[in-house]
Amino acid sequence: MDQSSKLNYLANIPADPDKKLILLRLGYRSNITVLSEADQSRLDEGIRLGFSLCHNQGVWIRMEIVRRSREGIELENGLFIKSSNLARLLEHSDQMVIMAATVGPEVTDRIATEVAQGKASLGVVLDAVASEVADACLDYMVLFINKMLRKEGRLLTKHRYSPGYGDLPLEYQKDLFALLQLDKLGVAITERCLLVPEKSVIAISGIERIG
Amino acid sequence: MIREEFKALCNKKVVLLDGATGTELQKRGMPAGICPEKWVAAHPEALIDIQSQYLSAGSDIIYTCTFGANRQKLAEFGLRGEVCELNAQLARISRQAAGGKALVAGDIGSTGLLVEPFGSLPFEEAVAIYKEQVAGLLQGGVDLFVIETMIDIQEARAALIAVKESCDLPVMVTMTFDEDGRTLTGTDPVTALITLQSLGADAVGCNCSTGPDLMADFIAKMKPYAKVPLVAKPNAGLPKLVEGRTVFDMSAETFGGFAARLIEAGADLIGGCCGTAPEYIKELKLRTAGIGRKEWYPLPFSAVTSARKTVFVGADLPVTVVGERINPTGKKALQAELAEGKLGEVRRLALAQIEAGASILDVNVGMGGIDEQAMMVKAISVLSAQVETPLCIDSASPEVIEAALRIYPGRALINSISAETGKMKKLLPIAAKYGAMFVLLPLGDEGIPSTAEGRIPLIQRVIDEAELLGFTVQDIVIDGLVMTVSAEQEAAMETLQVVEWASCHGLNSILGLSNVSFGLPERIWVNGAFLAMAVAKGLTLAIVNPSAEVLMHLKLASDVLTGRDQNSNEYIRYFTSKKNPVEKQETKSTEMGITHQIHRAVVTGQTEGVAELIEKALTEGFAPQTIVHEYLIPAINYVGELFEKKQYFLPQLIQSAETMKAAFEHLEPYLQKETATANDAPTIVLATVKGDIHDIGKNIVGLMLRNHGFIVCDLGKDVDAEVIVENAIQTGAVLVGLSALMTTTMIEMKKVIELARAKGLTCKFIIGGAAVDQAFADAIGADGYAADAHYAVKLAKQLSGLK
Repeated sequence: MDQSSKLNYLANIPADPDKKLILLRLGYRSNITVLSEADQSRLDEGIRLGFSLCHNQGVWIRMEIVRRSREGIELENGLFIKSSNLARLLEHSDQMVIMAATVGPEVTDRIATEVAQGKASLGVVLDAVASEVADACLDYMVLFINKMLRKEGRLLTKHRYSPGYGDLPLEYQKDLFALLQLDKLGVAITERCLLVPEKSVIAISGIERIG
Repeated sequence: MIREEFKALCNKKVVLLDGATGTELQKRGMPAGICPEKWVAAHPEALIDIQSQYLSAGSDIIYTCTFGANRQKLAEFGLRGEVCELNAQLARISRQAAGGKALVAGDIGSTGLLVEPFGSLPFEEAVAIYKEQVAGLLQGGVDLFVIETMIDIQEARAALIAVKESCDLPVMVTMTFDEDGRTLTGTDPVTALITLQSLGADAVGCNCSTGPDLMADFIAKMKPYAKVPLVAKPNAGLPKLVEGRTVFDMSAETFGGFAARLIEAGADLIGGCCGTAPEYIKELKLRTAGIGRKEWYPLPFSAVTSARKTVFVGADLPVTVVGERINPTGKKALQAELAEGKLGEVRRLALAQIEAGASILDVNVGMGGIDEQAMMVKAISVLSAQVETPLCIDSASPEVIEAALRIYPGRALINSISAETGKMKKLLPIAAKYGAMFVLLPLGDEGIPSTAEGRIPLIQRVIDEAELLGFTVQDIVIDGLVMTVSAEQEAAMETLQVVEWASCHGLNSILGLSNVSFGLPERIWVNGAFLAMAVAKGLTLAIVNPSAEVLMHLKLASDVLTGRDQNSNEYIRYFTSKKNPVEKQETKSTEMGITHQIHRAVVTGQTEGVAELIEKALTEGFAPQTIVHEYLIPAINYVGELFEKKQYFLPQLIQSAETMKAAFEHLEPYLQKETATANDAPTIVLATVKGDIHDIGKNIVGLMLRNHGFIVCDLGKDVDAEVIVENAIQTGAVLVGLSALMTTTMIEMKKVIELARAKGLTCKFIIGGAAVDQAFADAIGADGYAADAHYAVKLAKQLSGLK
């Protein structure tokens, strides 16, 4: 069956990452790191600019898990994902959600421009903002999907998993990229399975029964 | 049925709706996984049986079985072409079931897609999908419409507009709020109510998702602002998954027990959703028998909404700040971006103004050389999805205003409608259609009267016209029209008189302050005094730049003095949350010696002006080498120490490195003259390995290494092993730095090192990147692993023997 009709799109995701996470990513330690007024205002400007350059979009699909073993899981479309970590995460799930979010190319292009023009200090702030926004998009999507699932008495697993972590090889990004038709969000994938633009993420969550 | 009849029905009694249909159809043999609408069309007796039972139970209104009968949903069953026919047929079946004893509401549900700006379905396509369904239901002879189980305010708006543009029948809209009190796209009950009743819904409310107890809370929240009857159609409790099926376990009796509570909360129409059946409605009927509809007298209020927030304005509330900065006039950066069709600057200005205290954002994108309408629609779409702050649509063009109002997923404020006959006649009906609030500009066909006396009749004229279209005074905001005091000194007092008049007549008022001081020096004081005076006269909104602290502080103080900031809460909260002013530097930079100033510039990352400081030091006789080794390098080393202690974080480390670089660049010609230092410096080749495209970390390492005297040959990203090795040979590099972020690309590092060794290269390798660590470095024969740019420099110095 063509899976494309099962894809759900979200545009302009109002991702609102915790500013503390952005600072933490930049090495800020509360009560230790000291910011002058100039540092603070440069940082605030940078964070604001970062947010304004992110164009957040997401897509997700709900899939049946048709077969499982300790080594991995098989989806309704025949894709077998070999990963015991993932199999453990999806232990109580008979369905799963595969989701992806991207903040678009403008912010990554700007990071490159700023770094090339000698403003790497702004570049790293934008980079941290974009990374956290991409994660926050997935957080938003999880909340969103959970609201829909709750009506069925179901919920997503607390944790999500992504290719490239633990024993789930990054190579699976190719299959998941194709399944989610990420090219429609303007995302591409390289031969080595990297998503372009850089701040694009794919994640998997299981669907479990409440309680 | 006409809308007045519907209103009268709801005023007379608590109206009973029906309960669930899908589960009842399953009980009568409808198989799972098929199109329910198609099945009912083939088995009309099943629906007639169900609806007859609802009628017997007491339903005054029954819903057609057309919840999923829109083009988008029917297409999933290959029935895309049957929308009109199926809806008409199903409406007729319900009419037959009702037999004239109950009203038949044409049921409209979600397309299952999110509508722009929250999803991929274009707004006009959504309207078209619904219009097609509405046409079928009208053919089938429905008495009214119900748009239900909406999870997205924008889709509810699209459906409501479709109905309103197709007929004049009454229409109810119910949304689904989750336990957190918000719809899927974040709309709260009050915001949904204000948005939908402004747009012309005849009843608004909630259905599905929660049980009756929580729904009563949502209804209670809506009631004080409800100008239309409220609907409550809850589920029979919360869903549970039992043996793969979703079930609801609240009994009919328990469900019925909540009827009184729903009515007490303010519901005018009640029924049941998932998990309910005819006996649930029977219980509602029994329990409501002795209870009359509760009489409500809602207080007048003024409010604008976004998709996720309501902002109330009024003379008893603190002055509402309307951020003025999204306007290309005089803003080159914004003009340039708009000319390119980009919205980054618009979004940046929005965020900055919200942070500074704006409660509404004025959006004006009018400038020469662009398609204002297209740009306005784009700006409104992006802002309305990304910020919670309601928007004020500001344009001179009625067409632009209409296009923006149509897609804005809330209740907007229009800036503005004047008393110019042509414009007024065009804009008032548009404002009425979309239910917007509007700023009334006392500008007539003969221009702007210079006195309040001249402006008030113009205002009255627009109000009279507006009231004919259903507006109330609460929907109107009077612009006092600020003129320049340097041209006409009486102008300010005339404007204040207009504000006072508006306030006395229960109207809101607004001023765009800054014009008052045009041509004067130190304008902020004139603007500030004018604001305070206007607040005293009852001003309700002020268009300002919220980053102007003087104005914001005066506004807060004025709110306290006029008693609008109750218990001075806002004032106290604002000033106690504000950071203490940063202590002044003990020594002014100009009083320090030049070398001290250079040191400080590097430590604080003050790139601007560092070249001048270097030049001054050279003029004062400091040798270039001395500046480098005794002042610059120790300064950057000190920054490194602060970074190690975490007293500095990454942006500060790099900021200092950038200052250092600027200082070096200025010194470079002198250094080359002085010695042949550069030739002695160690060379390092840097590259992000093949297949990898992440290079920000490597670029920062390059910047830092250059500052510490290395010659850096940066090969970029996605670089072949052969190219790296070839360059290392050619440059005589003593070090090679390799970067990779991902697990799929880090293995390439090994290949580079192996190739280098095979070619007899003895240089050392440093690796870095998120996925690698010391163990991996050891495993592939690298000489070191650097966790960050600072450590990379330390390691490079250590491995190259550079001090």
